[in-house]
Amino acid sequence: MGDEYPTLFRSERMSLVQLIVPTEVAHDTIAELGELGNVQFKDLNPDVNPFQRSFVGEIRRIDEMARRVRFFASQIEKEKEPIPIRPLYDSAPLVTVGPRAAQTIDELDVKLAEHEARLTQMNESYQLLSERLRELVEARHVLRETAQFFSQAAVRETEVRNSLDDSSAPLLQHDDREHQYSSGELQFDLEFVAGTIDRARLSTFERVLWRVLRGNLYMNYIDIQEPFVDPATGAETRKNVFIIFAHGDVLLGKIRKVAESMGATIYPIDVNADKRADSMREVTGRLEDLQIVLYNTGANRRTELMTIGESLASWQDVVGKEKLIYETLNLLNYDVRRKTLIAEGWCPTRDIPQIQLALRHATEESGTNVPPILHELRTNRTPPTFHRTNKFTEGFQTIMDAYGVATYEEVNPGLFAVITFPFLFAVMFGDIGHGFIILTAAALMILFERKLGKADLGEIIGTFFFGRYIILLMGIFSIYTGFLYNDIFSKSLHLFHSGWDFPGNESVGIANGHTYPLGIDPAWHGAENGLLFTNSYKMKMSIVLGVIHMTFAVCLQVPNHIRFKRFADIYTNFIPQMIFLQSIFGYLVICIIYKWTVDWSKASTQPPSLLNMLIGMVLSPGSVNPEEQLYPGQSTVQVILLLMAAVCVPWLLVTKPYLQWQEMKKIQGQGYIGLDAEDVPRHTDDTTLEGEEEGNGRAIVEASDEEHEQHDFSEVVVHQVIHTIEFCLGCVSHTASYLRLWALSLAHAQLSEVLWNMTLANVLGIPGLVGIVALVIGGAIWLVLTIAILCVMEGLSAFLHALRLHWVEANSKHYEAGGYQFAPLSFARLNEKQ
Amino acid sequence: MATRGKARSYTKARSRACVFRTLLAMEALLFNVSGGFLEGIVRGYKAGLLTQNQYNNLTQCETIEDFRTQLSATDYGNFLANEPLPISTSTISDKATQLLVDQFNYLRSNAVEPLSKFLEYMTYAYMIDNVILIITGTLHGRNTNELLQRCHPLGIFDTMPALCVATNVEELYHTVLVETPLAPYFRDSVSAADLDDLNIEIIRNTLYKAYLEDFDAFCQSLGGPTADVMHRILAFEADRRALNITINSFGTQLSKEQRAKLFPTIGRLFPEGNNALARADDIEQVRQACDAVAEYRAFFDSAGSSASASARANGGANGTGGGSESTADLLGELDGEFGAAADLEDRFFVHEVHLNKLAFLQQFQHAVFYSYIKLKEQEIRSVTWIAECIAQNARDRIHDFIPTF
Repeated sequence: MGDEYPTLFRSERMSLVQLIVPTEVAHDTIAELGELGNVQFKDLNPDVNPFQRSFVGEIRRIDEMARRVRFFASQIEKEKEPIPIRPLYDSAPLVTVGPRAAQTIDELDVKLAEHEARLTQMNESYQLLSERLRELVEARHVLRETAQFFSQAAVRETEVRNSLDDSSAPLLQHDDREHQYSSGELQFDLEFVAGTIDRARLSTFERVLWRVLRGNLYMNYIDIQEPFVDPATGAETRKNVFIIFAHGDVLLGKIRKVAESMGATIYPIDVNADKRADSMREVTGRLEDLQIVLYNTGANRRTELMTIGESLASWQDVVGKEKLIYETLNLLNYDVRRKTLIAEGWCPTRDIPQIQLALRHATEESGTNVPPILHELRTNRTPPTFHRTNKFTEGFQTIMDAYGVATYEEVNPGLFAVITFPFLFAVMFGDIGHGFIILTAAALMILFERKLGKADLGEIIGTFFFGRYIILLMGIFSIYTGFLYNDIFSKSLHLFHSGWDFPGNESVGIANGHTYPLGIDPAWHGAENGLLFTNSYKMKMSIVLGVIHMTFAVCLQVPNHIRFKRFADIYTNFIPQMIFLQSIFGYLVICIIYKWTVDWSKASTQPPSLLNMLIGMVLSPGSVNPEEQLYPGQSTVQVILLLMAAVCVPWLLVTKPYLQWQEMKKIQGQGYIGLDAEDVPRHTDDTTLEGEEEGNGRAIVEASDEEHEQHDFSEVVVHQVIHTIEFCLGCVSHTASYLRLWALSLAHAQLSEVLWNMTLANVLGIPGLVGIVALVIGGAIWLVLTIAILCVMEGLSAFLHALRLHWVEANSKHYEAGGYQFAPLSFARLNEKQ
Repeated sequence: MATRGKARSYTKARSRACVFRTLLAMEALLFNVSGGFLEGIVRGYKAGLLTQNQYNNLTQCETIEDFRTQLSATDYGNFLANEPLPISTSTISDKATQLLVDQFNYLRSNAVEPLSKFLEYMTYAYMIDNVILIITGTLHGRNTNELLQRCHPLGIFDTMPALCVATNVEELYHTVLVETPLAPYFRDSVSAADLDDLNIEIIRNTLYKAYLEDFDAFCQSLGGPTADVMHRILAFEADRRALNITINSFGTQLSKEQRAKLFPTIGRLFPEGNNALARADDIEQVRQACDAVAEYRAFFDSAGSSASASARANGGANGTGGGSESTADLLGELDGEFGAAADLEDRFFVHEVHLNKLAFLQQFQHAVFYSYIKLKEQEIRSVTWIAECIAQNARDRIHDFIPTF
């Protein structure tokens, strides 16, 4: 079956393979398989701690490299002016396979370390310089603000100003920030402390000072307009200049201590205006020098980052891949004695030749002549489920996988969902106009697929983009059902000749013999009994569609029963279920269609209510009111059908457990007893494995890991009882559930009509310029609401209901969903995650 | 007794709401309205605490890098991934504490009354520690910034840096503490005039006593299971402090009256055990004071026996054995006491962990928040200890940590 064309009908056939890989090609082999992306490796050392595994040293080294790369990336990201990172497809590939692989990695490691060291050093010096710059800037602010303050003070109190002139204190001779205040020699009777402090802490600072000094201070502060930016983190801090006057050494000492502990910076400021001007000049001069140095350092750093940006993407790629390779290697069984690694894993049977090719390629690459050996193992373990999807089917398959991953080789409902899903959606969303809008949206997404695929779209848009092919089909089907409902933005199309005439002012239509060839006759639109007609039509249609959908789902059991060789299930499960469903609801569908075909205006009886008919069929079998008879002999037919359905219930309930019980009896009668899974000798032990292999060279039969399903009879009975009840009740409730098709379709049509009447209909008739303006405004409102409410909101709601109909109503009839997803080692997935 | 007064008025204010809630049978009914989300969160956090198995794995690590790999498989995740390679144990401890603080802040920012008040109460303990740390540090002439960095992040408050200005207790209170939540506790201890090591210790214990009593009063005002569980935990905390004060005060200038004043009055030893402790002169009398409580007696059973064993050994070596006051015997006794104290400390931790684990058995109460933080702290201590042992290659002592779950 391996050469079968891949299909979505069943999951891919899988094989458990064993690879015996010589140590020297191990890395390259895994790299090659990772590129290929279709082998899922099994952990062969589940008992070993992560750090006791063979390749933990390499992983640690790679982790360190990854940390460096992350460091570079974060540095580049923090840069204000964006630094170009050359994309991966544009960079020269770093070859990490082949004989020079180890060397390449070593070189890369050294290179990364060098870059890191250089960058760290530059960061440090840059930070140091910025720190100094910040101090100088603050000093300048303090000088400027204090100068302002003093000049104001001087204007107000000239005698203070005078007393300053003769002060000759030795001040600010050196540039270090020692807090040397020559308060002793100063004749100025008020001494002060000036500095800067974080604005957020200012109030606390003031409060504490007030309490410490018992209010014996005068504090003045001014905001510094521009924020200070921390070069390392990019965080902005806003600061204030403060100047505090107090009297006495002790108090000043306290102020300084408090200020320091609150994170303020104190600058020695002279009371003498000339000296202040001097220091201002000096500060400005040094500021300029420093700015030049800082600029150069910054430019250097930027150049370094640019160099890193050149190859960052390829480093990230290599490091990510290497990490994955070594993590995979850790899963393999390592035998020091034999210099080989043993790998086990699942792969699609069809891909084995491809894998063989890759293995050979890896051997050639690495320049050795010992090829890895691959052989299939026979196993009784359940393989993972793998559906080969493309970009079109991926979305539909995901919908079904979200419900549950199919059992291995089970019929995959994802295949049928490709058509049924958009169709059921469209039944609820039938409108040519709205369908066209979502079709356009999907078509645009598909047209710019490549561009959009690369961009990061965010979660919501990304989800829509992922489902673009679903949306495309939903749009196409909506247009189709729109034609059937003859609905375009709640108006109708008049494409063909209508079947009804309204001669003169007649309000009752007269049939003119024509039949409208496609969809609903436009004459029904706006008719007084239009809603009545569409309701009846859509309700019946929902039931018809629902019963067809469920019947189809029940039929999907058959291929499963055949594939899994459960032939008994066909007549213990499938046939009674089918009879039960058809004898009640299949009959209803036939009645619906028959009722449509009869011209009741010419019939001798009243048109019967099908709902009452169905209720009567179950509650009072055998009696049909002749007034409302659908066809002659109806009561007999109904009694027979009901009896058939009634027979099916015990049939479903009893036959399967009985057959199982009989089989058990037979086996026991022959003298067999069940083998416990534990008793089967296991061959996974390494030495046995080797011995067997060398002994006769055959593949090893894997012992069963999973517990053998115990055929407990009571479990079978309970399961079957539940199954029967679920199915019989489910048939009723699920059929009713399909009425949501009608309800949503009705709601959609009504909503769009209301929207039309409330916006566009009001402005259409207005003449002149006012009419045009009103039309533009009304049209805009209508368009926005159409897209937002009718297309997006209603669309999501219809999507949700279509989803439910698939998951609950259809899947419950056949889908076991007991599998687990195939998760191969793949570098492509690695990139997806990043 | 202003503290008690305040607590009582608070109790009164809440009592009506409490009665109302009790009438409706309540925690189970109403707790989840405000506390359900956070209780879920904290129980999730608790599920992330290291298990015995993970501790076993950690102790098998050869190097700190192994240790990091091993931790990355736990709830700690990649918290050390971006550290350059020689990782110091203090980095591990800091980062782990940072995780705890983040979790706590998350809880706190999402909490509403009365849980927010409860969480706030929890931070007071750290505030007391920080205040004491800074005062002591300043007294010994340490750099303020260095001290600030060593403060526990949960106990940081705005005006904390200004603590270093204070030179006496009065000043300490009036400059800084007056506007912190600790102010009411502090008012009781303003008796001491100068700041020296003994006084700082007295301040710490007085603050703690007032804090524990207030916290307990608050928990009682909440009523229901919170009161029960928290009282159990806080009572043990109080007794532990009383025992520690007693044992540590042997041979210091602390008078017995002063000592008696420091004992919290909410413990299970209160009142007769506390009185006995106040009179105790050696560890034997401490043990007798604890005899009334079965759990506490167990602490001393083997600890006391080891102490007396060593004393006996010393006595035997001396050859007297008559119980006379020979110098060697005294020294031996003292030695034994220190050993017993270290041993006791571990037993206290084990018992604390046990009590905190019990808190998780009851739902619809706030004690789980307290317990989780305490357990996490214990876990960080254990992890740091293991890391330390690995770093210093002291593998024989690596198992001396206290596992949480």
